[in-house]
This record gives sequence, C-alpha cells and structure tokens, in this order.
Amino acid sequence: MITIDHFSYTYRNREHPVLRDISLSIPKGSMMIVTGPSGAGKTTLCRAMAGILSHVYTGTATGSIAIAGRDIMEYKGIEELSHDVSMVFDDADAQLIFTTVGEEVMTSLENRGLSKKEAEAELVRILDLLQISHLADRAPYTLSGGQKQKAALAATLALGTNVLILDEATSELDEEARNLVFSILRSLADGGRTIVLVEHMIDEAAKYADSCVLVKDGTIAASKTPEEVSRIIQKSLPPITKRPGKEQGDLLIEATGLVHCYGDFCAVDGVDITLRKGEIIAIVGENGSGKTTLVKHFNGLLKPTAGTLRIAGSTCNGHSISVLSRHTGLVFQNPDTMLFEDTVRKEIAFGLKNIGRDQSCIADVLNEVGLAGKEDTNPRHLSRGERQRLALACVVAMGQEVFVLDEPTTGLDLAESLQIMEILMRLSDEGHGIVMITHNPNLATTFADRVMKMSNGKIVCSQEA
Amino acid sequence: MQEIMQYIPGNGIFHRVHPLTKLLFTVIIVILAVLTSDLLLLAFLLVAVFLAAWAGGLGRGLTEQIPLLLVLGVMLVLFTVLTMHGGEVLFTLIPAGIPLIGGGLPVTTGALLFGTILSLRFAVMLFAFQLLVVSTKPGELVTTLRQLKMPIDYTLMFLIALRFIPTLQREGIRISEAQLARGYAPGDGMMGKVRGLKPVILPLILNALGKADTLGLTIDMRGYRRGRADTGTLSFGALDGVVILAALALAAIVAATNIILV
Repeated sequence: MITIDHFSYTYRNREHPVLRDISLSIPKGSMMIVTGPSGAGKTTLCRAMAGILSHVYTGTATGSIAIAGRDIMEYKGIEELSHDVSMVFDDADAQLIFTTVGEEVMTSLENRGLSKKEAEAELVRILDLLQISHLADRAPYTLSGGQKQKAALAATLALGTNVLILDEATSELDEEARNLVFSILRSLADGGRTIVLVEHMIDEAAKYADSCVLVKDGTIAASKTPEEVSRIIQKSLPPITKRPGKEQGDLLIEATGLVHCYGDFCAVDGVDITLRKGEIIAIVGENGSGKTTLVKHFNGLLKPTAGTLRIAGSTCNGHSISVLSRHTGLVFQNPDTMLFEDTVRKEIAFGLKNIGRDQSCIADVLNEVGLAGKEDTNPRHLSRGERQRLALACVVAMGQEVFVLDEPTTGLDLAESLQIMEILMRLSDEGHGIVMITHNPNLATTFADRVMKMSNGKIVCSQEA
Repeated sequence: MQEIMQYIPGNGIFHRVHPLTKLLFTVIIVILAVLTSDLLLLAFLLVAVFLAAWAGGLGRGLTEQIPLLLVLGVMLVLFTVLTMHGGEVLFTLIPAGIPLIGGGLPVTTGALLFGTILSLRFAVMLFAFQLLVVSTKPGELVTTLRQLKMPIDYTLMFLIALRFIPTLQREGIRISEAQLARGYAPGDGMMGKVRGLKPVILPLILNALGKADTLGLTIDMRGYRRGRADTGTLSFGALDGVVILAALALAAIVAATNIILV
C-alpha cells in the first residue's frame, strides 16, 4: 500500500539530511510499528508518508513515495491526499479545533460527504469504540491529556481513509487505553486499512502489529517482526536489574487523610502516603485519577481541603509554594512548560538565582544528567529526551530533599527512559526521596521501592515492588 | 477558573434565537455605539445591553468582565488626558510652581469627556459581542458565517481564536506553576513585574507557535478548508422578531435623541 523507494530528505536551512536512503514497503491490511530514539527521524518519516514533506514543506527530497501505486507527487496537494491518508500528530491539543469533542468528530464525518443520518450513526459508533461517548459535549480545554489524544484519534478515524498514520499519538494514554487503541488499529488493519504507528512501548504493541522498523540517525537500522526488534533494542541496553530493597530512612513526607476538592468534585479523596529518605515511590493509575493533583500538594502548589501534611518534619497545611518549594522540587510532564532561556546554562542558573544558590554546581549537574558540553546550546534545539533531562537538571540543581516527577518518560524511548531512571536511582542513593507518576508499569515495578495505584482520588493498592 | 469568551450552555432568550438574529443584534449595537458620541446615550446603550443579558440569564457572565473593563477604561481615560487637550483646564499634573516644566500635562474637561466616551463605547461593543459568543455554540456561529458567504479561512480563524483562549489561559497557569516550582518570584515594583513576565510569556508564545504547525496541517489533512456541508437546520421563530425589534427600537431611540439634541 505504501512504497518508499530510496527516499532522503533535508529540511530547508539544514546541512544534514534527516532521512537517508529509506526504502520500505508496507502492504495493504498490515500494521507497522516505527520506533527509535527521539530525534532519529520518526516524525519526519511519518510526514513523508503523509505527503506533508512533498506538498507543504520546502526542503530537498530525493527518491519516491507511492500510495497504492500512485506517486505522492502526482497528487495535487495535501487536500487531495487527505482522501487517502490521515495522520494523528503527537500534540493532541493542536488537533482539536472545534469547541466540543462531538463537533470535532462530526465535522470530519460531514467533510467525508456522509448524509446527516449516516454521520450521526457513525459519530455514535466511533465515540463508543474509543469509549468517549461521555465526552461528546465537553470542550477540549476540560479534557485530560489522554482524553484529548482519544478525541484527536476519533476525529481522524472519522475520515475513514485507507492509510492511517499515528505519530506518538498514544503517549499520554494509560495501559488499558493503549491496549484499546492498539486493538482498534488491529481490527482496522484486518479490514484492509494500512496502519503506521510510531510507538515507544513496542512490547505492548507487539502482539497487535505485523512488523516493526527501528529508525536511528535517519536510517532504518532494523526491519523485522516487533519481537525481534524488541530483542535488538534490549541487547543494546545495559542489563536492567531490579533495584535492591533498602533500609528505611527518615520520614520526608507524611500525609494523612489528604483531601482536595474542586467545588463538589474531590480529585484527591483521603490519601495516606509516606515517603522516606532514599525511597522511590511510583504512582500509577488511569488518566484523571488524581495523581497530579496529589503531588502538587508536596511543593505547595495546592493546599489540602482536609487532612494533614507533614514535610521534612514540620506540619505545613497552610504553607505556600515559596516555603515548600525549598524542600520539594517538581518536574512537570512537558519540559517545554518551563524552558525559556536561550542557553542550557542560563536555564539552570534561573532556579539557582531564585533561591540564592551558588552557580558552581551547573557543570556537575549537567554531567550527572548526561548533558555535559551542552552548556551553550539553546534548550529548544535539544531532542525531546535531552530536554526532559535538562528539565530534571534544572530542578535537581536546586538540591531539595524531595523530587517529584510527573510522567518523566513520556515521549522517550526505552534507552532514554532508562537514562532518567538511572539519574533517579543515583539521587535516591544520595538520600533524596523521589515520587514519580508514570504510565509505564514496567518502569514502576523495576525502579520503585513501592508502587501505589490511584483510582478516583484514592489509593486502591500499595505494594512493595 | 472563569473562561473568557466561552459558550455557556443555557436556555434563555439568547440561546433560543437564531445565530443570525444575534449577529444582527450585535452589529446594530456596535454600529450605534460607533455613531453615538453622547455620554448619556452610550450609558443608556450599556444599560440596555445589560438588561438584555440579564433577561437572557447571562448577567453574571457579563458582570465578571467589569474589573477588566474598569482597567481598560482607566487606561483609555489616562491616554486621552495625556494626549488630548480641549475645553477648560481643570488642573495640571505637574504643579505650576516647578521651574521649566511647571504647568505641563494639563488635565482638561474635553479630554476627560472624550476618554469616558471611548471607555463606554468599548464596554458596549465588548458586552454586545460577548452576549453573542457566550449564547451561541461556536459550530452554529461558524455555519451562520458560512451561510453569509464569509470565506472559510476567516471563519476558521474566528473559530480557532475562540477555541484557544481557554487553552492558552490554562497553559499560562501551568507554566507559571512550573516556574513557581523553580523558586521563581516575580520582582517588586512595576519594572520588576514586567521583567518577571519573561519566564511565563516566553514559553507560552514559543509553545503556541509550536502548535500552529500541527494546527495548520490538521486543518488541511481533515479537509476543513473544503468547507462543510450546509447544515443550517435552525429556524427563525417569534423570539427572533422580538430581539430584532428590540435592536431596531434601540436604534430608533438613539437616532431620535440625536435629532432632538441637535
């Protein structure tokens, strides 16, 4: 269905090609996974297959790409291509244009030329399929990251094209939702569609897909079955060993009966949690189960509606962010919500200046997160994995006792995720307490001392990993 | 958090009338506000729009905008006073006793009056527009604009602007939380506050620009620029007549008063 023949591509104003001599064939009715480190060219490859590079961007391309035997250059433009190919991008927010989820999907259906009656039936079916019927009348800004991704996928499925490309479109979904999406894609492939899926969780996606390519430095490093590619990746990684249990240190965080309500809705509903020196806790749970709301209490961004919270030995129910942030550092999910300076050094210095700390530690911290030598690089020019580590460095440099990380591995491949975990283990060995929210159950059980599962604002399960 | 300029579900008068009627109502009010330079008439228009909103059960949404309007009004008056002179001099901002520059920056009655008129005009236009936006589903508004043969690119622009206001509001809060977590404290004084904006505004703008690329591609790849099928199923009713008549009555009052005043 998709044939790529010796395709290379260089973006405008760049010296080096992003894709080099790619040849691939994806048969009709099959589902292919694309994986590889951030910055390897996966997104560019998707955009090449969708015809975006040839029809929207003005870089230099050689080689050819054909959809069902028809060269992409023969299409008049993206407009005509959109009848055959659709794509879900990684930023879900930017793909929700209308003011409710229902309208978003409905517009796609109407553009497809369905009659009002057909479109309405199809709308119900698609929302049902993705289990988001209850979100039909909700505005995009009221949705969680995972819900937005489902809505963006629904609007794209509604186009009913023969080729469907997903570029990290499942990164914010929890395990259950990911498996739902993968199984929908599988049934679409079985129905004759061609599916391309950029995915880091290949072990989970493996049983649904037919093939897998590993992209590295703009070339195809391997093109095999998902299981074989997974083995290749595993082999290139340092051996992953379960973290040994540690003796208990002093209490850093102690919350009892913590409640946080927004109006009538209690996002956190009676949580007891403790964190000790040198301990790593993983918090898992579905989208919207209250994980982020919970951890925002630890650095004072939120104040509990009820319950008590002790941090570093003192009760601090009413303490503000300026007091608590001296004990707890919080790294948000998306590094781009904090990076604003024009060099890596200045970015780290910002936090240090704010708390009046000496800047001599910058080199050490960069070394610790594997960004040594990048002091003068613009943070926005770093890859996603590097930006994530820089965001971590910015907070680690401030040296608090507790570090809280909200989804530190979203958008990272396994190797990059392990780099982050390694940094966290070192920090815990130095005596810091660490809380991380994650959607990756393997990381949670391998690297945390305790895994807590949240559901509807409560901790429903807490076990030693 | 209160979202600015977002559709509020309801079943008041304004929710039940045709979007075209509301559009017409808004346009008439805006034209009246532009054509009238009389303080009392503008105040009357403001009250009229307010009563209309109140009757439609949307009074609260509008009153929440009052602080913003006050700030805007004060700034407008200030600018006019500084840049325009007319009528009697009430006092000077720099006392006459100071050598060389003494007696500078006079505050005049003409400037004060004009500044107040400008503020009122803004308030009337903003309220009228807000009444339209909060009572109309964006999709219906877009369909109506399409039926009026407005080019699709403009209607999409309008739609996207409305859609992304709350998203940017939220993103702004997220960024400021992330910076607070890094010990960021906005500086003291006016200059400190302005400088302190950088860590929040810069990521906000850069991230918004980053979204623009994906947004544009999505619009093209979902074929939105083809323009959607005509789905105008809303019909005009008696209530539409009432709203249009009300707008026309306002126009008549304003026109009549203008003639009498002249």
